[in-house]
Order: sequence, then structure tokens, then C-alpha cells
Amino acid sequence: MTAGNFVVIGAAIGLSAGVCGATLPRSSRVIAAAVLVWTACALEAIAAIHVLAGGHPISLHSSELLPITGVDVVLTPLGAFFVLLVAVVAVPATLHGIGYACHGLDSRLAAGALPIFITVMLLVPAAGSVATFMVLWELMALLSLCLVLADHARSEAARSAGTWYAVLTHTGASLILVSFLVVAAHANGQSFTALHATHLSPGLRSLVFLLAVVGFGSKAGMVPLHVWLPKAHPEAPSPVSALMSGAMIALGVYGIILVGDVVLGSGPIWWWLVVLAFGAVSALYGSLHAASSADLKRLLAYSTTDNVGLVLLAIGASGLFDATGHLQLAAVAMVAALVLLLNHAVFKAALFLSAGSVQVAAGTRDLDRLGGLLRRMPQTGAMFLVAAAAVCALPPLNGFVGEWLLFQSLLHGAGLGSTAGDVAIPLAVAALALTAGLTVVAFVKAAGIGFLGRPRTAGAASAVEVPLTMRVAVGLLVAGCVVLGVVPTLVFPAVERATRSALPKISALSLSNGVRLQLGDLRGVLEPTALAVALVVAVAGINILRRGLVHRPAPRLAEPWGCGRELQTARMQYTATSFAEPVQRVFIDVLRPVQDVDVTHAAESRYFVDAVTYRSTVDDGIERALYRPVIRAVRRWGLAARRLQPGSVHRYLAYGLGALVLTLIALSVAR
Amino acid sequence: MTADTHVAWGASTSVLQVAAIALGGLVLVGLMRRVRARLEGRVGPPILQPLLDVRKLFRKERLRPDQASWIFPFAPVVLIATVAVAAGIAPLITVRPALGTGADLFVLVYLLLSGSTLLALAGMDAGTAFGGMGSSRAVTIGALAEPALLVTILALSMSAHSSNLPEIVRSTLAAPGTVVSPARLFALASLLVVIVAESGRLPVDNPSTHLELTMIHEAMILEYAGPDLALVTVGEAMRMALLLCVFVNLLAPWGIATSMTPLAALVGLVSLGAKVALVGVVMAGAEVFMAKLRLFRLPELLAGAFVLALLGVVSGTVLS
Amino acid sequence: MTSSVYASTLGLSAALVLLCAVVTLWRRSLGAIVKVLAVQGAALACVALAIGFHEHDVGLEVIAVLVLGAKGVVVPTLITRVVRHDPTSRESQPLVNVPASLVAAGALVFLSFAATRSVTALEPTTAGRLIPFGVAAMLVGFFALATRRKAVSQIVGLLLVDNGVALVAFLATAGVPVIVELGASLDVLLAVVVLRVLATQMRAHVGSLDLDQLAELHD
Repeated sequence: MTAGNFVVIGAAIGLSAGVCGATLPRSSRVIAAAVLVWTACALEAIAAIHVLAGGHPISLHSSELLPITGVDVVLTPLGAFFVLLVAVVAVPATLHGIGYACHGLDSRLAAGALPIFITVMLLVPAAGSVATFMVLWELMALLSLCLVLADHARSEAARSAGTWYAVLTHTGASLILVSFLVVAAHANGQSFTALHATHLSPGLRSLVFLLAVVGFGSKAGMVPLHVWLPKAHPEAPSPVSALMSGAMIALGVYGIILVGDVVLGSGPIWWWLVVLAFGAVSALYGSLHAASSADLKRLLAYSTTDNVGLVLLAIGASGLFDATGHLQLAAVAMVAALVLLLNHAVFKAALFLSAGSVQVAAGTRDLDRLGGLLRRMPQTGAMFLVAAAAVCALPPLNGFVGEWLLFQSLLHGAGLGSTAGDVAIPLAVAALALTAGLTVVAFVKAAGIGFLGRPRTAGAASAVEVPLTMRVAVGLLVAGCVVLGVVPTLVFPAVERATRSALPKISALSLSNGVRLQLGDLRGVLEPTALAVALVVAVAGINILRRGLVHRPAPRLAEPWGCGRELQTARMQYTATSFAEPVQRVFIDVLRPVQDVDVTHAAESRYFVDAVTYRSTVDDGIERALYRPVIRAVRRWGLAARRLQPGSVHRYLAYGLGALVLTLIALSVAR
Repeated sequence: MTADTHVAWGASTSVLQVAAIALGGLVLVGLMRRVRARLEGRVGPPILQPLLDVRKLFRKERLRPDQASWIFPFAPVVLIATVAVAAGIAPLITVRPALGTGADLFVLVYLLLSGSTLLALAGMDAGTAFGGMGSSRAVTIGALAEPALLVTILALSMSAHSSNLPEIVRSTLAAPGTVVSPARLFALASLLVVIVAESGRLPVDNPSTHLELTMIHEAMILEYAGPDLALVTVGEAMRMALLLCVFVNLLAPWGIATSMTPLAALVGLVSLGAKVALVGVVMAGAEVFMAKLRLFRLPELLAGAFVLALLGVVSGTVLS
Repeated sequence: MTSSVYASTLGLSAALVLLCAVVTLWRRSLGAIVKVLAVQGAALACVALAIGFHEHDVGLEVIAVLVLGAKGVVVPTLITRVVRHDPTSRESQPLVNVPASLVAAGALVFLSFAATRSVTALEPTTAGRLIPFGVAAMLVGFFALATRRKAVSQIVGLLLVDNGVALVAFLATAGVPVIVELGASLDVLLAVVVLRVLATQMRAHVGSLDLDQLAELHD
């Protein structure tokens, strides 16, 4: 059996999983679909690993499946990396979905759409031509839309999120289509290799690139096209959020690499400065909003924008170095981008799935109504903490390796002599740093308010640990965080192969040396394994030392100090809103929080206060400033257009006649 | 020289460095308190008082807030462990400590960040108002200090083309002129502000206050008592000492052991102690004349540090 | 003077000129700002002196002494007197807040660095490469002029611009002719004198030195 067969059989099994999900009875449909999806993921992953190991792409063509153009499958090492990434998220997400099913995933529609969504995502990076790619891309958008709307009957917010998502994703798709069509019109065929061989004028090339960046950026959650993320991620069922945030968004980034590096083969410096700027703004904006969100999944959604921003920063830097002739640096930056994406897929999926577990156990995802979950759900809580530490890039977890690579590529790129680079790179470092700091604020808040302290509501107080499948699903991903952090060199051969397929100018690339990362001729070394061992030894040593020094090991539990008050209540704790207040106050010009204070006075005298309510909300400034005016204008046009539709059949027929006459007049004049 | 001697030298000096930081940190705190007291016209406690305090705390009963989870006792251990690993790999006494190839400045920063992040979580673990207040303020200050810190690292690495700390120290020893270059001075000025912010000294935080509404760090560790508090105290002192050691070795690395002899290690230890004591005395002396800044004036200070770091990068690029 | 000592003296002095410009945005107390201005004047004199020694140019050394006298002593003293008479001598509410001003200053430094790239490429001497510092000091001065409210801050901004221009002049051409430098310095001196008169008049009529209050005279 050749590797190509694995792709085809995997796809067939994935589709059959969808059929099972939609037809089997409720009791068995989710499990059956999950098992089939795992098989499909395994088969696609085998094909991907085969490509990454050998370095030769798989090509298939079938002219029956799609009329006129046929289907082209070309799995390059770059695509194979993304196939693996999707599979890494899909397996735990579907496993988690088994326990989560009764919360909106066991309807016929959802159980049928989820496996096909995963299958299509596994195939998107293997598309070899414009037609195949666009069909798969649109299918992916439609199926994810179905899944966002899985809970629409119960929630108005889900319907609104669906509308936002549908509009943005289809705007993006149409831009991508235009971008591809412009190249394809000049190309000899519509496969990506034919597109790559086309010669376009510089103006057209820039147009194609910008359209693609904006189009794929809307899928990737790049600011200012990110507005659907904080709406759709919270409303979608958690396994779907994990898939969308971990895998689908990575495919948006894949699109940018595909067009920028593979199809167009890089370009002038300013292209990449644009990408760099989009990345920096997304990272800062996302982390700032993540730091001030009180809804756990909304926080995670903004954090996705932040992480995608860092990836775009790395891609921009890579292009910049490529355009100024520093190939080695370009390769390091591209490796950084891919490693960041892979890490993001692992820890963000773990976080979204844990958020789902919390929602199942405590009935809410509002941080201000949670608290004390670590004592009630010890395993889920501990795994959430590890994944949160990974997002904060704390060593020895995986987030750290990605940020180190990005920082090193920027560091060695500073002072190389090109003005644009010398100015852009220190600013990029500053953006990276502030983002990292704000991410720590966001996740200390999420973990501290949600999982530590006292439970703030009865729901949180009565939470119990979730079923085993859900814990195992998160556990797999958290184990991935640890392994990718301690021995990142395991995946480096694959990442390097994918990088060389994205940047074909690079002949040799080897950054891993045993368990040590070494940046070729650049002076930069990271010893993640040794560092992890040293940390473990230090923690163990200090624990032993403490045992030796302290003679009474069992601690006495005591009431914490309450300023002289006897009883401590949960309401005295800081809430997520109050935790974020200092950050909000520092960045008040960007966040513009809306605050109201209502004071109810006692009836007897104004000097006595009955109740004080304080409300502080932070809505998305870009949504307010950029989208609301557009929506208002569209609505006005829509109302105006109503006058054209009075309901009279004669009027409608007259329109038809008028249009026909006008066309004929135009034709005769033009001739 | 064989590889074995390298390993033995690296391991023994690393252990020496960790021990020096662990003991020296507490002595440094005592010294700074003493200097401050003298300048304010008080006699002040003996220099070794912090050591005695820690010994006393270790003998006390272990207390834990009733709502706390395993994070609460775990955080001080991680704090000390991360500082100890950082102290083991950084070039403090010798330019060739164990794992020195991995002693990237970025790694050191993130190691220290791990300890402070866990401490911030522990602050919220007791479920009281003050813990959350302290944690919230501490992480906000940490976030605002981060840009200054990383851009400073960028500025410091430009002359050595590496952010590896031993490499930077070695290149400084080879070309002493880089110390008085504007790039290095701007970067070190910025680094000093960040160190003050990270170790909670005046004017960012007042380590001797216990007034609830103004304190930052003390609010975060308010619930710690007995042996756990001793660990936090040791960890904090170690962190400050380590930061100052890195600072003085970037400012004036002379005296650090470049050869692998016991005498060189001794010279390194003594000179490091002398340099850090000098910087500590100067800092304590300066603190006498300072008031704590209001919390919302801190962004100004940290933005200033950030601009200094940017000036360092620009000077480095212009003059390279 | 060996070339490495020359290079580091020149670099440090030029960097100090820029640093002082940035610090004026950082501090609120007008008294402190004027002191920083004096330091900047001294640093500028240092630049002139270093170039003078290096090029063996006696004229430039004389100018250095004059600059030290005028910008390091006379002008700051004059402004200090104005400040001393003003009871509320703080720039308490600038139009752009201090952190944002500092970040903007960082951006201006980068801008000047990018914009003078071609000039420094033309003149890759030790002095020529420092030109971005002068341009940056000038831009920061302009920024202070545009965003600070107090009359004293305004004149300080003007002096920052002047010092920046002078720094560029020293670095680019090893000093403008004595007469031009004197003329420029006289202009600034005149401006300071005008400020004193204006400040006295303002205090008499408006009661404070806040420029925004002048807008009310319009009605």
C-alpha cells in the first residue's frame, strides 16, 4: 500500500464517521464517530510522517470527484506538518467530546458535522490546486459554522456569534478566491506549482499577497478581523472551540505561508513589514483584552489572537530576513513560527477542553462565579495550571521553546544594516515582551480566580471531577506540553523539513544537536532537557531540605487574616474584574472600559446607603469603531432598498423588462 | 584540559555560586537595612539579623489557610528552585559555570518569572482580599517591566552577538571599552530600574511597610507563616542578590574567575561580594532619599526604563 | 587624546544630550527640568570640547566654553528665577500623559535614526555617526513644545530644539562658524528674556503661567 492510499482511505473513513454520527442512534453515535475519526487521523498522520521522513511529496489526481477541474492532492512536507498538527488536536478533542456530548454535541447535525469538519481540516493542507483548496476551505467554513450554531436553539449569543463568523469567514474566503484567481488567470493551469511558475508584475504580486494576508488573516483571527473569535469560541461547544482555536486558525496561517512563500516565493521588504505590523498589533491587542476578560473562554479566544500575532510576527521576521538575504535567520524565524503554532495547538486545545470540563462541572465559565476548583477538581485543575504555565512560556514547558526561538531570531536580526529591520526589530521585541507580560496577567487571573481561593457560587462549590475520558483527553495534551518543552528536539527534524519546504532556498538546516538546540552559526544555545532536570533536582532537593529543617511536618489549618473581621466570605476575594483593574487603568486609552456605579440610598436618609452596584464592561474597541458604522450603513441601505419592493408583481416584471432593455441598449452602444 | 575537569569545575563552582547567593542574599538584606538605619540616625539591627530571623521562622509551627491548595506550600519551593538554578548557571564567580552554554539571559529572565508567577498564584490561594490585591499589582508591574527587560537584553547582546550571559561577560573582559559605550550604560540604567521593580524596593514598593492598601509584595505573601515564610524570605533575598550579581558582572566583570584554579574562584567570590555589597550600600543610601511612588505613577517609571533600553539599542546600532 | 577615548567621550556626551531631552518629558517638576537642561548644556559643551581637542581647533574650544557659559549656566539661571516666582511650578497635566510621551519619544528616536541613515552613510566618521542623537534631541524638544502646557516648559522645549540643532551642527561640520553660533545663541537668549517679560506680565494679568489660560483672553 502506498502512502497515497493512506490519504484516500483516511479521508473515506473520516467521511464515513460523519455518516455514522448523523445516522446511528443517540447512545452510540458519538463514540462510533470518535473511533472512526481516530482511525482517519492515524492514517493521515502516517501519510504525513512518511512525507516528512522522506521529504518527497505525495501527489494524487482524480478527475471524477470534482467536475471540470478534478481533485488534486499534493502533500508537501509543509502541508504534512499541518496535517499532523490537526491530528494532534483532533484526537483529544473528540475524546473529550464523548464526555461532553450531552452539552450540545450529540444532535444529529453536530455529531455528523464534527467528523467531517476534522476530515476536511486534515485534507486542506494536502490540497494541490486552487479548485481543490477552495472547495475544502469553504466546506471547512460551513461545517465549523454548523458547529458554532450547535447550541443555537438555546442561546441568542450563539446565533449572533454565528452571523459574525459567517460574514467574516466568507468575506475572507472571497478575498482568498480573488487572490488565487488573479494568479491563476496568468498561470498555465491551476495547481500551486503552476501558480508558482507564473510571472506577474510587481503590482499584481503585491495585490495578490495583500488580498491573501487579509483573507487568510480573517480565518487566523488577526486584528482587526478577529472580532468573530471572542464571540464564536465561547459559544461553540468546547471540543469545537479547541479544534477551531488549535487547528483551524493554524490553517489560516498555513494559507499566508502558502501564498507568500510557496506560491509567490517571497517578495519585497514592505510585504513582510506589513505582516510584522499586523502580528505585533494582534499580539498586543489580544493579550490586552485577554488580561481584562472575565469570561474564561472569551479570555482564551483573545489569547488565541495574541498567539497568532506572535506567529505572524515570526513569519514577518522570516520574510524580512529572506528579503534582505539572511537565509539562516529566515529559517530560524520560520522554525519559530511553526514551533509556536504547534505549541499553541497543544496548550490552547488543553485549555479550551479544561474550560469545557469546568463548564460541565460548575455550570458556568464566568470567572467571577467560579473559585476553589483546584480542591474540587484536583486533576483538571492541575492540568489547567500546567497548560496555563505553558501559555505564559514558563520553562520547562513548550511555550518557552517557541518564544525563545522567536526572540533569538529577532535578536540576531537586529543591527544587520537594513534600516527597516533595525527599526522594526527592537519594536517587535518590545511587542513580544509586553505581550508575554500581559499573557502572564491573563493566565494568573484565569488560574487564580477560577481554580484557587474560595468558591464564589454554589455551582462552583458543588463541582466534582469530570468523567475519565475528559481528563484523559486533557491529560494527553498536557503531557504534550511537557514533552515538547523538555525534549523539543523530538519534533525538530519534522519542523526543519517543513521549513525547508516553505523556504526552498535553504539547502541545509539543523538546529537540534542531541537534546540541545543550537542555532547553526548563530550564537544561541538552549538546553531544555538539562534545564528541566536541574529544575526537578532543585525542587526535590529543597523539599528534602525543608523536611530536614522542619520538625513538625503536618501543618495546622487556620483562618486567614481578615483585618480583624472574624468570618471570611468568598465575596471578600478579588474578582476577575478587580484583578484586571490595574491593567485596565494603565491601558485605559486602548480598552476604554464602561463603568457605572449605582448607589441606592435608604428611604430614611440620604446618608445611609442600602446598596451599591458597580459594573465594568470592556467591549471590543475595534468592533465598536470599525464594524458598527459599517453595520449601520448596511442597515440604512437595506431599509432604503425596501422601497424597491412594494410587493406588486407588475413592478417586479417591469424591473425585469427595464434590465433587459438597458442591457440591449448597452450592447448596441458598445458595438 | 580534559572534559572531566571542565565538568568538575563547572559543578563545584555552580554549587559554590548557589550557596553564595543563598547566604549572601540574606546578608545583603541585613546590610541594606543596617545602612538605611544608620543614615536615618538609628542603630539598626545586626547585619546577620535576617539569618537569625529565618532560623527562628523555621522553628515555628506550620500554619496554612484553611482554603489553600497544594499551590500554597509549593510556590516558595519553586521560587527558591528557579533562583537556585539561575544562580547555578549564571556566570557569577566564574565565566564557566555548569550548563553555562544554556545560560541565556532570556532563560534567566523566564526562570525568575516562573518563581514570581507561582508566588502570585499562591497569593490568591488563601482566598482573602489582600492576596488578590498583591498578586494583581505584582503581575501588572511585572508585565509593564517586561518590555524594558527584553529590550535591555537586546541592547546588551548586540556587542557580543549573543544573549548568552557568559559570552557577554567574556566579550566585555576582552574589550573593556564596551562598558563605557552609551549602549551598555543605557541598557544597565534600564536594567537597574527593572531590578528595583522586580525586587520590590523603593520607589516601587516599600519592603518595610505593612499598611494593607499600599503594599504590593507583602500583601501577596501575607498569609505565609513559620517555615513557609522562611522559604519565601530566603527566595526573595536570593532573587535580589542574583539580580544584583548579574548587574555588577555586566557593569564591571573584573575579578571573575577566567582560569580554573581554586584561587581564581576565591578571588571571584570575594570580588563579587565586594561589588554587590557596594551596589547594595549605594541602593540603600539612595532609598533614604526616596518616597514610594503612587501605584499609578509606576507606568511612568517603567516607560522611562523602556525608553532607556530603546536608546541603548539605537546607540548600539548607530555606533556598531 | 587617543581615538578610543575620543570616541567614547563623544558618544557618551552626545547620548547624554539625548537622554536629557528624554528626561525633560519624564519629570514633572519644572525646577528639575531646568536642572536637566543645564546638564544638557554642559554635555553639549563637552561634545564641542572633544571635537575641538581632536581636530586641534582652538575656535571650537572657545565656543565650547561659551556654550557652557550660556547654555549650562546663564540660561538655566534665568529660567530658574521665573520658576522660583511661580508657586505651582509643576507640569502636572501635560496634553499627552507621561508614559505615552515617553513611548512617543522612543518612536521619535527611531524615526530620527531611520531618517538620518543616508546622512550618516555619507559621513561615517566617529562624529558623523552620532548625528541621529542630535536630530532625536531636536524632535523630542519639538514634542515637548507641542504637548506641554506651562510657559516654562515651552521655552525649555525651544531650548531642546536649539541644543539638538547645535549638536547636529557640531557633529556634522565640526562646528559652525563662531559668528553663526553666537547669533543663534543670542536669539535664544533673547527668547529667554522675552519669556521672562511674558511670564511677569502673565502672572500680573492671568495669575498663572498656564498657556491654556491665554485662550480665555480671546473672548
